[in-house]
Amino acid sequence: MPQTPNSSINPANPRIVNSATSRSFPNGNPALGYNRAGVRNTDSAVPLHPAEPVVHDYTSDGPAPGSISFRWAYGSNVAAKNRDPRVQVVQYNEDTFVMRENVCVHWEAPFTYLLFGNKGALLIDSGATSNAKYYPLREMVDALITRWGQARGRAKVPLTIALTSGEDVAQNQGLSQFAGRPDTTIVPPPLALMKRHYGLAGSWPSGTGAIDLGDRVIDAIPTPGTHKDGVSFYDPYCDFLFTGDLLFPGRINISNEGDYVASLERLQAFAASHSVKWVMGGHIDMMFLPGKHYPRFATYKPYERVLEMEPELIAEALQYAREARGQKIMLIRPDFILFNGISPDQRTGVWPEGVPRINPPHPF
Amino acid sequence: MDRRTFLSYNAAAVAVPMALTTFSDAAKAATRPEPIDFTSNLPAPGSFPDKWICGSESLMDNTDPPVQVHWYNAHTAILRQNKAYSYEAPFAPLYFGNDRVLLLDEGYTSLRNDWDLRGVVDECIAHWCARNGRDPASLELLVAFSHLHDDHYAAVNQFADRPNTRYMGLTHEEMLGFWGMTNFPEERVSLDLGGREILIWGSPGHVISEFAYYDSYTQILYTGDMFYRGRCYISFWQPWLDSMKRLIDFVDTYPVTHVMGCHVEISKDGVDYPYGLTWQPDEAPVQMSVQQLRETYEYAKTVPGPGIYFTGTVFLCVETRSLTTIDVNPYSYS
Repeated sequence: MPQTPNSSINPANPRIVNSATSRSFPNGNPALGYNRAGVRNTDSAVPLHPAEPVVHDYTSDGPAPGSISFRWAYGSNVAAKNRDPRVQVVQYNEDTFVMRENVCVHWEAPFTYLLFGNKGALLIDSGATSNAKYYPLREMVDALITRWGQARGRAKVPLTIALTSGEDVAQNQGLSQFAGRPDTTIVPPPLALMKRHYGLAGSWPSGTGAIDLGDRVIDAIPTPGTHKDGVSFYDPYCDFLFTGDLLFPGRINISNEGDYVASLERLQAFAASHSVKWVMGGHIDMMFLPGKHYPRFATYKPYERVLEMEPELIAEALQYAREARGQKIMLIRPDFILFNGISPDQRTGVWPEGVPRINPPHPF
Repeated sequence: MDRRTFLSYNAAAVAVPMALTTFSDAAKAATRPEPIDFTSNLPAPGSFPDKWICGSESLMDNTDPPVQVHWYNAHTAILRQNKAYSYEAPFAPLYFGNDRVLLLDEGYTSLRNDWDLRGVVDECIAHWCARNGRDPASLELLVAFSHLHDDHYAAVNQFADRPNTRYMGLTHEEMLGFWGMTNFPEERVSLDLGGREILIWGSPGHVISEFAYYDSYTQILYTGDMFYRGRCYISFWQPWLDSMKRLIDFVDTYPVTHVMGCHVEISKDGVDYPYGLTWQPDEAPVQMSVQQLRETYEYAKTVPGPGIYFTGTVFLCVETRSLTTIDVNPYSYS
């Protein structure tokens, strides 16, 4: 369908107002073309050969533009024959990268996020494999930082590494690759030290910590429930909420139902006062068929759902988490599944009402 | 030749005619090696490996062969699918006789360009023939499986165009017809591989269409998915208990060296490897003793109803509809 550039209000995002009299272009006027004068062969907002370190303006009305225009590598029927990249990188925008561990290196296939600000970079989560030969996360992060630094005319880009959960072996294993890395701050994984690092030692689980990347301040929101040391992060530039294992399109194992509901309530209150474009979790287990999911240890997921979740799903998760409270139950929803007080192997014959039940073919 | 005569047909007797009429026949007979004796000094000695190939931490870095071939003895190979090719990693015995070769189970990957099971089996047959001075074309290959589940017959189509090969059909009736059974599961039929006798009878319980196979040469009792070192998913309790009774009656009258199942899903220390795991560094041996079979039967007789029970050797998942809830969420806290 052809795009109509002068449509007045985008119903999905009413913040972006395009009217004949008062036009607002929060992220640049499209009529001006992609490239600045003197810039060639790039649609970047950054000059090609900066004479001095580029200072980027991270303020924008509404979410910064960006896109995930690739589908994620989804493993292969014979895992031993997989030749996909070990770390798949998708550049969401010039200051935001999404990385995924290859499904055939580790079935959890966790997502890690690399965000840049004027004073440094933040790596959220570190993957499920410590062996850099299998999962060269450090090498990839170093390369991205070097290239980003060259584009911005910066020789040094300090890196902070923070985890959505210090205890989660699907997200803390890559941390060892960064031991001894210069200009690197690692938020200590043990719960007590992590609380102190964010300045939350007294107030946990209320209050928020902050990681300042330079004009891009990431909020750290305590969200225990799937892990006792769970933390979610909010990026005010892309308007992303990074929720790790708390809320993702997959099999969510609730570890403490009281904490889980309280954390979702806190997250919902946060989302009400902040603009949230997408909730970005740590994994994908769901298929694009509603309610259907891949089992644990699956290494071939051709029907995977997309990673990003609409913020409305926080309310849905909260509603069904409240429903699941006090029960040992597996609760299927179109975009996620809640496991409360049961084995991660549990199955159920209960199918949610009103959700079409589509059985995908099973390749083997 | 109908199924009945096929089962008892002594190909060796036909292949060496009583009267040699032409010179070429005589020359052929002169060069034909003596038939291997599969009936004396039983059980034939053999050994299982200390450790099977059992997956790897990173599957895409797995450099093991798609199929591990272990020669139990000179006339018996045991194949296992690599865990990085399929998490089910089933075992598949390959029994050689003077006239026929029997392959039991064909793994959980169907395409030949994904894993070349047919090529591996052909290679095993070629090696065996070279060692024993035979012509591979003279051996008939029987491609059968323990029971009607896709992780045991996925690669059967790789053998569809193989010359001198018979393969089992994928229905209950075709399976029974393949062995010429009319009274399943009680009837015990005898298959002659050419001096090597395989006894086959029904063993329903995990599924209805399942057989137990006993090789009279190695005296290995192959029990499929009905009894193996892991989670025995028992869909039909009474038929399974009856099948166990049949196995016990069998080991009471016949000598059995090892009881062997199709999978291993348990560690040496009895820790459950959850369903779908692709790296089992401390897995238990595939072979079990007759004593373990008897103990399991004694334990099973005391099982009160549906549920998951650990007998010390295997998990009995009694009418749990293939459900395993042995695992717990490791991050639970209060």
